[in-house]
Amino acid sequence: MIEAYLPVFRYATPLVWAALGETIGQRAGVINIGLEGMMLAAAYAAAVVALGPGGIGAGLLIGACVGLLLAALQAAFTIRGGHDQVVVGTAINLLALGITNTLFRQQFGASGELIRLPTIPLWMGAIDFVVVLGLIAVVATGYGLQKTKWGLALRAAGEYPPAVESGGFSVNRLRWQAALTSGAMAGVAGAYLSIGVAGSFAEGMTSGKGFVAIAMVTFGRWKPAWVYAASVFVGLTDLLQYALQGRSGIPFQFLVALPYVAALAVLIVMGRGTRVPAALGLPYRKEG
Amino acid sequence: MSEATLRVEGVTKAFGSVVALNAVSVEFLPGEVHAVLGENGAGKSTLMNVLGGFLTPDEGTVSYRGEALPLGQAAEMRQRGFAMVHQHFMLVPNFTVGENLALDALQDLRGRLAQPDLIASALERAKSLGWSIDVDDRTDDLPVGTQQRIEILKALAGPSDVIIFDEPTAVLVPSEVEELLGLLRRLAEEGRIVILIAHKLSEILAVADRITVLRRGRVVAQTTQMEANAAQIAEWMVGDVPAPQSPLQEALGEKAVRVKDLVVSGDRGEPAVRGISFEIRSGEVLGIGGVDGNGQTELAEAVAGIRSRKGGDIVTPNGVAFIPPDRQRAGLALSLSVEDNLWSGPVQRRQGLVLNRKRLWNWSRGVVQDYEIKVGNLSDPVRSLSGGNQQKVVVGRELSESPGLLVVVNPTRGLDVRATEFVHRRILDAARAGAAVLLISTDSDELAALAHRILYLSRGELRDSLVGATA
Amino acid sequence: MTRILVTAGALALALVVTLALFGLPVFESLSTIARGSLGSEASIARTLARTAPLLLTGLGILIAWRAGMFNIGGEGQYVVGGLCGAWAAMVFQGQSSAVITLVVLLSGVAGGALYAGLAAVLQVTRGVQVVISTILLNFIALALLKWAVAGPLRDPSSTRPQSSALPDAVMFLRPNPQTDFHTGIVLAFLAVIVVFVFLRFTATGFRLKWVGANPVAAHTQRMKVGRLQVTAMLWSGGLCGLAAAISYLGLARRLDASFTENWGFLAIPVALLGGLDPIGTLVAALYFGALFAGCEALARETSVGTSAVFVIQAVAVLVVVGLGRLQLQSSRPESKPAGGAE
Repeated sequence: MIEAYLPVFRYATPLVWAALGETIGQRAGVINIGLEGMMLAAAYAAAVVALGPGGIGAGLLIGACVGLLLAALQAAFTIRGGHDQVVVGTAINLLALGITNTLFRQQFGASGELIRLPTIPLWMGAIDFVVVLGLIAVVATGYGLQKTKWGLALRAAGEYPPAVESGGFSVNRLRWQAALTSGAMAGVAGAYLSIGVAGSFAEGMTSGKGFVAIAMVTFGRWKPAWVYAASVFVGLTDLLQYALQGRSGIPFQFLVALPYVAALAVLIVMGRGTRVPAALGLPYRKEG
Repeated sequence: MSEATLRVEGVTKAFGSVVALNAVSVEFLPGEVHAVLGENGAGKSTLMNVLGGFLTPDEGTVSYRGEALPLGQAAEMRQRGFAMVHQHFMLVPNFTVGENLALDALQDLRGRLAQPDLIASALERAKSLGWSIDVDDRTDDLPVGTQQRIEILKALAGPSDVIIFDEPTAVLVPSEVEELLGLLRRLAEEGRIVILIAHKLSEILAVADRITVLRRGRVVAQTTQMEANAAQIAEWMVGDVPAPQSPLQEALGEKAVRVKDLVVSGDRGEPAVRGISFEIRSGEVLGIGGVDGNGQTELAEAVAGIRSRKGGDIVTPNGVAFIPPDRQRAGLALSLSVEDNLWSGPVQRRQGLVLNRKRLWNWSRGVVQDYEIKVGNLSDPVRSLSGGNQQKVVVGRELSESPGLLVVVNPTRGLDVRATEFVHRRILDAARAGAAVLLISTDSDELAALAHRILYLSRGELRDSLVGATA
Repeated sequence: MTRILVTAGALALALVVTLALFGLPVFESLSTIARGSLGSEASIARTLARTAPLLLTGLGILIAWRAGMFNIGGEGQYVVGGLCGAWAAMVFQGQSSAVITLVVLLSGVAGGALYAGLAAVLQVTRGVQVVISTILLNFIALALLKWAVAGPLRDPSSTRPQSSALPDAVMFLRPNPQTDFHTGIVLAFLAVIVVFVFLRFTATGFRLKWVGANPVAAHTQRMKVGRLQVTAMLWSGGLCGLAAAISYLGLARRLDASFTENWGFLAIPVALLGGLDPIGTLVAALYFGALFAGCEALARETSVGTSAVFVIQAVAVLVVVGLGRLQLQSSRPESKPAGGAE
């Protein structure tokens, strides 16, 4: 019985990585709307590289690098340039969608010839090392944010930037670090989506998972352990959806909507008391 | 002369055309509480920001223990023992007290956060001062006085041979003020240089060993506690105050505005205006003086009908015009055009469903001419105008519809002489045309020039005299 | 004027750079795109058919963003608009076809408006940021769509989960059935006039701009900031819902799980590049409508298809943003340190 549910962790792992990265970014005051695009670009790059001699290891690494690169592009506009994070994030999403679709067709034909990627070895038929690393990443993120000096300064940058500057540290440097970490983790998420979960690449295969991850950060109230739980919850509803698909009469779509309804409910109930990082989405400029 | 003297020599700092500090020289001696006094805009904050390392002066030097200081480098200044207690606390509101203390004590960002070690020195100071601090309390749940203690502990935890307090009493209740003044004395007795930026005379006379008065960016006087005299200092601060004379000879009209027992809360729910009453006749300019942060904004907004009141009554005539203190924050939409900004005032409130653009446009042209607003095209963004012309947009918008009541707050702050004169003339014109005018200003020259009567706002209450308000 | 030139330059540059980057011969590709979008009656009809939904959702986004409501839920509002339209078509089955057409249109508008209004009310009353709530509502709308076409709206005669097809009489007229042109497209262009008039000639439209540009100053002018924000979102969602109803009555004829074609997202760059202005958005929507039609033609000859349009949109937005020609910051306060100049 338990074995039937173990795959849930694999389904949830892309979300876990993406949402954890987003958590780090948002705690520093950076909302990464471009998450979806970073995942998609990484999924594509990872798939292409994994077909080569480097295999899955190289695929995951390249995926992380592609995420990092897009995050750097986004940060150059939003952190360095102080431009609107929603606008730039939207552009990043479109950029990734357009480039991956086009390159994929050029390489594999207009029909999107099915590619088969090398698989990651499984333990207990359901878990692999990226899943385990994801768990470690949750612990590491929680520890990093709460128990390290960097985490303390990072959180302050997302809450009240002047206090960070008055302590002698640069808000924008911290935000760059958070944004890049977030991008690299989105890259791992995307790479794992194509290599680990799908074993293939398809056009637009993230199908909104980046936005799901943003939603789960909210649902998990910016706490890594809860963000993890929220992501697994989404994975579970995904899995149940497939399991129930055959049977008639059960509106499994309601199940699919459940995480989002629940996330919205949390926000509504918490109202203004929600612990949204106070400086989220606001550019920081020094005066004087 | 002691070895550990802090010398400010010939410091000048200008922001655009405004000279905030003009060849200021002061010496600060260890073991003394040295008060720097002045009205708003006198240059106190600029001087403090230079000493904190937040601003680089255009000219002049600052030396300490005979060494020139690295000005403009906050972190470096902190290392040299310059600590600052900000008026607007540098505290993360939803951090715990411990986290805030730890954040300030960080030397680098590598490794584990050993909070107990980082905050040990701050807690020790707290203990020696007899303050009980719970490090697990959420900062913004604490009363303002306690938050200030955390801010002070942050300063004292590190090297703090020179400690600068920026308007520390502004947010405190009287009993807390007592305690704070005691602390200042104690810190000085421990051999520090204590610099107190302030404006309340009674508090300063009670604690300061030495007093420097700034006015319009210059040092106008220095004195010691021994020689200090409240009336004399007040005069230094504001310059030669001409006795308020009625600038208007016309007879005043009926009572147009009646405010009774008005109570208004500030943004954080704190009592900002505490039961004040006054009346203004039609054609009369009532001036309200006093230093920023004593309830001016709240009073103005309540009378203008923008802020809801906690208690009391306000009776106003029809047509209330309001010139807010900060035109860029509350007056204008900088990205919108000049005409959009002109239309947003009283005219807008009278529009029906459909705008009569043609008529509005003609009206706008009239206002632009009448108020001598220098603008190429009405559709240019108001951002592209000079400060003076921006303020003319606000003034023109509010006054060209013959208001019954005009509420004005610091209408000429940051304007040059000509623009100031222009705005003043227009306010008087409005009064002559029958408006009751409530003029709230921190500029005593402005009050003297315009007001029939002057009252002073201090901690949300009205007083009759400046000395009463500052003392 | 400069802004228009900069935007036009950015768009042209983005097109050429994108084609070159994907290794296509620039001139030949441009001519294919030109032929595919403007070369024949069918091409022009296709351009207009792609423009219509982009234009309507773009207008919707621009009204919301103008008022400082960062609606990224155009997608969800489009879906709910379509659902309400399909539901109305089912309820009013048997009525005269003109009545059904009208009811579908109105239901689409109402559905989209209420769905966006919900997000606005949550922000105004409960402080739930529209940026976040509309993301969540997009997913909820998609789930609703999948459920509805598999359940209550399902066409019993079909093996696939999809709603029943509308009869021809209910659909918009297609003067030439060989092309994609239908009379509903005209409605989209009329909407430009309505939005233009609304923003320029009504007091509410004027106040909306103000609330977006400086909510504090708007409040100081006694404008009802919260109510205006909700109004903006009602318009925004209503236009997205209208876009869906027109698609449904124009070419789609029925709903299925892929009813939405990302118009709600694509609208964001359209509105941005249009300078958040109705006329600008019309131009941008026409440009991208033509690009979509042209790239469909390009796709038949090369491996580069409509996806290239996304890249062009993205690059153009980044160029325009990077050159500082897009000012949105005014509606969001910056966090500034204290201790600055007095």
